[in-house]
Amino acid sequence: MTETALRSAPKLETAARARRRPKAQRVRSRPARIVLDVLQRTWLIVVVFAVWWIATAESTNVFIPSLESILVSLFRDLSNGVIASGAAYSLGNLAAGLLIAVAVGIIGGLILGETKRLREIVDPVIHFFRSIPQAALVPLIIGAFGIGQGPKIYTIAFACMWPVLLNTIDGVLGVEPTIRKFSKVYRIPRGLHFRKVVLPAALPQIVAGVRVALPIGITVMVVSELFAANKGLGFYILNSSATFMVPETWAGALLVGVIGYILSLLFIVLERRILSWYFKSGAK
Amino acid sequence: MKTSTKSLDWGLTTQRLLAVAALLAIWQVVIWSGTLPSMTPGVAALASSIGAALTSATFWSALAQTMTAAVSGWLIAVAAGTVLGLLIGSVRALDRSTSILIDFGRSFPVLALMPVVIMLLGATAKMETVVVALSCLWPVLVQTIYGARRMDSAVVDTVRIFQIPALLRFRRVLLPSATPFIATGIRISASIAILVAVGVEVLSQTPGIGRQITLAQQDQRWDSAFAYLFFAGLVGWSIASLLNFAEGRILKWNRQTND
Repeated sequence: MTETALRSAPKLETAARARRRPKAQRVRSRPARIVLDVLQRTWLIVVVFAVWWIATAESTNVFIPSLESILVSLFRDLSNGVIASGAAYSLGNLAAGLLIAVAVGIIGGLILGETKRLREIVDPVIHFFRSIPQAALVPLIIGAFGIGQGPKIYTIAFACMWPVLLNTIDGVLGVEPTIRKFSKVYRIPRGLHFRKVVLPAALPQIVAGVRVALPIGITVMVVSELFAANKGLGFYILNSSATFMVPETWAGALLVGVIGYILSLLFIVLERRILSWYFKSGAK
Repeated sequence: MKTSTKSLDWGLTTQRLLAVAALLAIWQVVIWSGTLPSMTPGVAALASSIGAALTSATFWSALAQTMTAAVSGWLIAVAAGTVLGLLIGSVRALDRSTSILIDFGRSFPVLALMPVVIMLLGATAKMETVVVALSCLWPVLVQTIYGARRMDSAVVDTVRIFQIPALLRFRRVLLPSATPFIATGIRISASIAILVAVGVEVLSQTPGIGRQITLAQQDQRWDSAFAYLFFAGLVGWSIASLLNFAEGRILKWNRQTND
């Protein structure tokens, strides 16, 4: 059977090629296909922008400025550095908060994931803290600790910690039992066991947790600045809305959205990098 | 993490209670030690203001306002998200065309739009509902698209070969296969609904639990601010547990959802 299969293979291939060829001529060349694909993916964005532009061009409503004026003020403040300094401040807070959250979440998750009893005991407490609306913490933390940078970072860290923690626990629980036993049989020291066995195995889950935490962090970042701040993107939005600079308010809100989108794209790139061995293995 | 459903494990329950007691004790010690700002309430003050909130009309009306806005926004999002998602997910061209827009929308921190939405609609319950709906739409939409898109090629072929009419295909093939994903989206968005509703109230003059937290904090009534925070967490936690339970029940036939 194998023999017939082997012998007929080249014949089949030529037949297939012969059948494909006329079709291949009809299908457009590779660059054209890419252009078509890009067009298919982007036309709607262009249409949305065009509709928005045209619909608001003649707007007389003070609160709905024309898209043109929004973009003009956006580019003006982008080029004169007003936004850049605010964005640097906000994103710095976000990065610091996320780093703390990731560190605490991973360490806590590794410990809780490895000790069943402890995990079961603190489970309700964790789920309660996770359920506290992050935005509701903002007035309390800022009220107690002031409008400085530290309280904002802590709030972001607190809000982002839970998804990382819970996902790390899930990841640790998902470590292949055989691998676990191996590590035990060979008496791998505890530190090495955590670093070289459990952590890599849990990494895909941990990264997924950070992916969930990222938008939460961005939201808390903006909310903490919208509530009370003297710097940052949220402050830019708040300040311009308080001084009735309507196009700037719109521009700030849009910019935060774009930043959120870019960060999520960057994170996907980072994820591909960190987990390249995982994706390569074809695991799902 | 799944809590074990063996309902009467007294040892575990006691240990859990002990853990909570230990946390409260640490809290109290930290306050006595004076490392926290002086306005942070002690455990006794906190307990009494939680009790006081339960008997006050303000609390119940605030809770009702928050829940109304959260639930109505959530329902709108679920309806719109499911319909749009099924449509987008089952039409390949639509799926491709909308992908960037949807990726953009889901990563948009909707609360950043608050000042803009307040300008347009004012600090009203309607505004809150709109913001909640806008935030809840994305998880439902993305999950539904995912569910509708992901169909076994064998199933697709079978449907085509037997020339199953479109409506029947939708009702008996597409919907059941997408339901687990939709359910997950609905569950995720329910938690988001509470979070966003409270967030809107914290940031604006819209009445509700979040507003009460801000007001209490501004009046330096820290114990009641913490009490409201506690209730906000409690509501979020109950809703999450309830929906988790419901999803497990309704989708018992589907083993894949239990990761």
